[in-house]
Amino acid sequence: MGNIDIAWCPGCGNFAILKALKAALAELEIEPGRLVLVSGIGQAAKIPHYLRANVFNGLHGRGLPAATAIKAANPSLTVIAESGDGDMYGEGGNHLVHTIRRNPDITNIVHDNMVYGLTKGQASPTSRLGFKTPVQVAGVLLEPFNPLAVAIALNAGFVARAFSGDAEQTKEIIKRAVLHKGYALVDILQPCVSFNKLNTYQWFKENCYYLEEAHDASDRNEAFKRSTEEGKLPLGVFYLDPGRKSFEESTVAYREDKRPLYERDVDMERLGSLIEKFKGAF
Amino acid sequence: MCGNEALAEAAIIAGCDAYFGYPITPQNEITAYMSRRMAEEGRVFVQSESELAAINMVFGASATGKRAMTSSSSPGISLMQEGISYLAGAELPAVVVNVMRGGPGLGNIAPSQADYFQATRGGGHGDYRTIVFGPSTVQEVADCMQLAFDLADQYRMTAVVLADGFLGQMMEPVVLEKKPGRKLPPKDWALTGAKARPQNIVRSLWLPEGSLEELNHKLQAKYDRVQADEVVCEQYDTEDADVVVVAYGVAARIARSAVNKARHEGIRAGLIRPITLWPFPTEQISMAADELRIFLTVEMSNGQMVEDVKLAVNGKAPVLFHGRPGGGVPTVEEILERIRQLSIPRRVRTA
Ligand SMILES: Cc1ncc(C[n+]2csc(CCOP(=O)(O)OP(=O)(O)O)c2C)c(N)n1
Ligand code: SF4
Repeated sequence: MGNIDIAWCPGCGNFAILKALKAALAELEIEPGRLVLVSGIGQAAKIPHYLRANVFNGLHGRGLPAATAIKAANPSLTVIAESGDGDMYGEGGNHLVHTIRRNPDITNIVHDNMVYGLTKGQASPTSRLGFKTPVQVAGVLLEPFNPLAVAIALNAGFVARAFSGDAEQTKEIIKRAVLHKGYALVDILQPCVSFNKLNTYQWFKENCYYLEEAHDASDRNEAFKRSTEEGKLPLGVFYLDPGRKSFEESTVAYREDKRPLYERDVDMERLGSLIEKFKGAF
Repeated sequence: MCGNEALAEAAIIAGCDAYFGYPITPQNEITAYMSRRMAEEGRVFVQSESELAAINMVFGASATGKRAMTSSSSPGISLMQEGISYLAGAELPAVVVNVMRGGPGLGNIAPSQADYFQATRGGGHGDYRTIVFGPSTVQEVADCMQLAFDLADQYRMTAVVLADGFLGQMMEPVVLEKKPGRKLPPKDWALTGAKARPQNIVRSLWLPEGSLEELNHKLQAKYDRVQADEVVCEQYDTEDADVVVVAYGVAARIARSAVNKARHEGIRAGLIRPITLWPFPTEQISMAADELRIFLTVEMSNGQMVEDVKLAVNGKAPVLFHGRPGGGVPTVEEILERIRQLSIPRRVRTA
């Protein structure tokens, strides 16, 4: 992959996420041919282009519906939907809510730099109160969007937060998310060195800490409480419910036949009777 | 001042009460400028969570009788089409700026004129029109903004200003001053509180038998008035021209240089430059086609406005096309070469 020109600023947190993702996929021995990386538009959304895998680079904010459908059409694939906070939580916010409800077996990785990077520095849904930009001249007035609390409230089966500055832990969290059956959210805090001068490497280092070993990730109320904690931002797996049925498991197409749609032959008998039924209808 | 900023300031001068927008290149300067200036003016600015939100915020603000606008670039404008259709159905005024970029899909951020069809055909579902401007200088962008707000209010329609990354980023001297506005009808339809009057209802749903057909006839009558009264178009050296170039926006700037060079070479070339793309200068072009001449439409697309030129010419003269799609920009030399080729038959004929 040495010949690919990576269009990120030097020092951007995205490099560490790319590295962690590559390592996670390698350690899980996910075959590139069976992996689909789905993204929207943004700096983060460029990531699929920098890995050896199938790439679906779709619309701004619309990665999740496409990822859901890719997995539904071929459940044998590993599907990762990955974009920035503006893409997933702003433009695509509605899809986030309903994808969590639908629970497809996909991993949703969000590069959360608390700013719109590609469009050069406007506030994003996760920008902190008071964050000043060329558009938010008096500072952000809106309460930041809390993706973890929302996902836990919607009963997502796997909800975690990582920090790109800790490559090892980020890799471990991604691995667990990919192995989780059902929708998994990994919000990765990522410094944008060009347009976010508030939430820098230093800021994240000072304002993040890992959930204690003793944190009970199966306790939803506790997870919600931790996700809404005032002050410093906890990292790690907040909530885990491995028991939920995935969308593909509950969808009629796979109830009796586990083969992906493309492996199945057309049932000529059924098709024939369908045609019979409609004969004369026009 | 760059085109995007001139356009934003012109909107403020025109009395824009509320601006709603979502970041997208190459028009972020508009949003940034508006965020600062609208605050200074004590007016409403919102960075929305998406373009769908932005156009529906325009819908809401407009329903209260206030002047509302949004700006975006091609993909974001596509998302707004549903809202624009509803604005048409509810007969509410709105101003939408599209700083066009190359498509389809995400395309690129290079200047383009590929959204001509979308803008001039309505764009969303249903039988409706929007007033569309295709300015070609920074000054004209600013002037169009003021006219756009007036026409939107006068006809209770959406007015679209089509620019592109070139115009948006271009620095040109510009005079920004309040033009004498039009005499506008009172907004007695606005949601201003129903005290001492029957309630006003904003809607675009017409279920009773025949009521929607009636509305569509009423809309069409209005569109006919706009077509009759509001065409703006420049004719440049067309009187004796053998070859008439038709172009708008940035393409027209380049075409004008080509026409000037052609004249220099003794070729009788001219330029018709539609400034309103809808209503289209059908009459003007049709009249020009009564003389024996050839038309060359130049666009930064694979040929969209050329269809309107053909409809206007209606078989009376040949209509040719030169275009560059996908963010490509025609050069003066390219256009000049086409003009030279087209002028040969006439030269031979008159020799
Ligand atoms: C429909 C649409 N609207 C807006 C844009 C412009 N746009 C491109 S990326 C982006 C958001 C970038 O922010 P984020 O998703 O946080 O990703 P980052 O660049 O910070 O990684 C926007 C608004 C677009 N491409 N399409
Ligand atoms: S703009 Fe920010 S997020 Fe984008 S590549 Fe540069 S540092 Fe990274």
